[in-house]
Amino acid sequence: MGKTTHTVALDAMGGDHGLVAAVRAAAQISLGRQTAVLLVGDRPRIEAELARSRYDAAFVAVHHAPDVVPMEASPKDALDQFPKASILVAARLVADGAADALVSAGNTGASVLACARTFRKLEGVPRTALAAVFPTETRRGEKADPFSLILDVGATLHVDADALVAFAHMGSAYASRISKNPRPRVALLSNGAEPGKGPPEFVEAHRRLSRDPNLEFIGNVEGVDLPRGTADVIVTEGFTGNVVLKMLEGISETVVDVARYAYRSKLAWRLGLFMLRGGIVQLKQLTDWQQYGGAPILGFDRPFIKAHGRSNARALANAIKVAHKAAQSGLCREIENQLSALPGDAR
Amino acid sequence: MNPVPPFEPPHIYRWDLDKTYLDTDFDSLSGLLRTALQRPADKENIPGSSELLRELRVAAAGNAQIYFISGSPRQMRGVLSEKLRLDGIHFDGFILKDNLNNLLRLRFRAIKEQVGYKLPALLGARIGAPEGSRETLFGDDAERDALVYSLYADLLARRVDVVTLRRVLDQAGVYPDSRDAIEDALGQLPRQDPVQRIIIHLDRKSPPMHFDVYGPRVVPVYNYFQAALTLFQDGRLGAGAVGRIGTALVERYAYTLPMLLRSFQDALRREIVDREAAYRLGAQAVGGGVSGDVVELFAREAAATPPLDPDAPRRVQTVPDYPALLAREQHRHQIEKARRRRISHWL
Repeated sequence: MGKTTHTVALDAMGGDHGLVAAVRAAAQISLGRQTAVLLVGDRPRIEAELARSRYDAAFVAVHHAPDVVPMEASPKDALDQFPKASILVAARLVADGAADALVSAGNTGASVLACARTFRKLEGVPRTALAAVFPTETRRGEKADPFSLILDVGATLHVDADALVAFAHMGSAYASRISKNPRPRVALLSNGAEPGKGPPEFVEAHRRLSRDPNLEFIGNVEGVDLPRGTADVIVTEGFTGNVVLKMLEGISETVVDVARYAYRSKLAWRLGLFMLRGGIVQLKQLTDWQQYGGAPILGFDRPFIKAHGRSNARALANAIKVAHKAAQSGLCREIENQLSALPGDAR
Repeated sequence: MNPVPPFEPPHIYRWDLDKTYLDTDFDSLSGLLRTALQRPADKENIPGSSELLRELRVAAAGNAQIYFISGSPRQMRGVLSEKLRLDGIHFDGFILKDNLNNLLRLRFRAIKEQVGYKLPALLGARIGAPEGSRETLFGDDAERDALVYSLYADLLARRVDVVTLRRVLDQAGVYPDSRDAIEDALGQLPRQDPVQRIIIHLDRKSPPMHFDVYGPRVVPVYNYFQAALTLFQDGRLGAGAVGRIGTALVERYAYTLPMLLRSFQDALRREIVDREAAYRLGAQAVGGGVSGDVVELFAREAAATPPLDPDAPRRVQTVPDYPALLAREQHRHQIEKARRRRISHWL
């Protein structure tokens, strides 16, 4: 008998590059013969695009879903109006076991709502969290991973201590399963290293996490510690997390813009940049969001990777790989196990 | 007195060997050397190819002829014949390329060139074929099998004139003696239309649309389960044989039932089999070495497949513009070569 492969459902209609990027990503992944992709969307258009692609038929399937949630639509209204929207159909297929994980580059709110309507929230998870990775100085895990994980980056604006504790465990489980970091260092993002710093819910979360033997909690970290990689998992609430993430993305784009400006401005600078090109390419690769593979939504019983709205085929293919890894590694089960093992005074 | 049964000419199956029957690596020097030195028992089949060939022989109840036509050098005859014997394949003929002669005569172009080798070989073999016999041809997308086989079919049916043929031969750089052999053989053959089907194994995973230009006679397949479905649709194989080939892929090769299912769905999408044929498969493919899971798969997919739209336009067989097609193939070959070089560079 052949080995078991995992199937990732891909919302083929979401994202700025739409169906073409999704089909190409699925086709590319199928050639690796490790992961099967279930393309969910307008069947005739998917079939037409598939016929133009190099793919392996044993690793690509198509499920028809005629409607699409527009990027700017109100999530609730759109899902109510379009019960056959690709994201909703894809989430149902995952919930029913036709696929093991979900990837979408479409409307974030609608995607999360579709998961909330079809997936089960894990026991002990008060709020689901949107996580993201960012590059740091430090390397970690068996693959010398340069990325730290930050959560929540936008699923819920403000949360209580219960949710922050749950986020810490979800992030730790993700880092151990996906980044293969056996004992990830977890920290709360605050305005000072002292345990009493920050809003009351952060102080309370600090108190509970520091008593939790199942977690490598290193206390509070400040903004300056983020790019240094002091912690492998940064826990915060959605409002702060989103601001931090966008700022990190902005800095990386600004560095590239400055380099471009320097290249255009002076011959000497151009020569300097030419000599530094190897390092610049590495830096660009490190800060290239397309290779991160999207942001996982943690807290559901099924893995869901939210890819960037601007994702092209390469970025979506990487998102599928992360989703496959999440399904294969039993990430959701690990989160549930961690949360069920919380000591009484850490709850 | 018993009535004399009407004479039924045998059905002829002509198979390419490398990348169609055998899983051969010609893309690297090490692969080439390995292929040349491999013992018969070490040579690997494309999954399902030997099972399909044996089923074809059984289905025809002895009234089938199987020929191999390969670009491998004649010096390989012993090894290849032994390999086929080990696989339990009884064949009626085996044509190999006289590459030593090409080398001694400094005809380097002829060593790799396929039109000037396969076309005269096919036409020459047809001269001795029983009158009225029909043919199914098997090739792959690594060489120009779709073009050569289609040209062979259209030359026999006199749908392609000598002027066009000569343009193609010029373009392919075919040597004068091979050109003479082609025209001589054509002169001996009456007008006939024996080629029923051309099955192309997508070893390189070329986009299926690439073959649309050859018309519905050419069917690109990703695996021999899809080839079996094509032959079932053509009335050359029974449902049990298709089921046994599917079962063999799961039991003997690295296939799983979901992979088989996706291949089946792809075949339905690309209209390799229609819904009625899928129903018949579900109803008839029972017992005789067919896994119950495979039978269930046929039945389920048949039920889930919408009937064909009677008003939808059907693909019709037309005569391709062979000189233009050959130019396209030559261009594609150059691109493919460059792509492989790029990949090996990065690897």
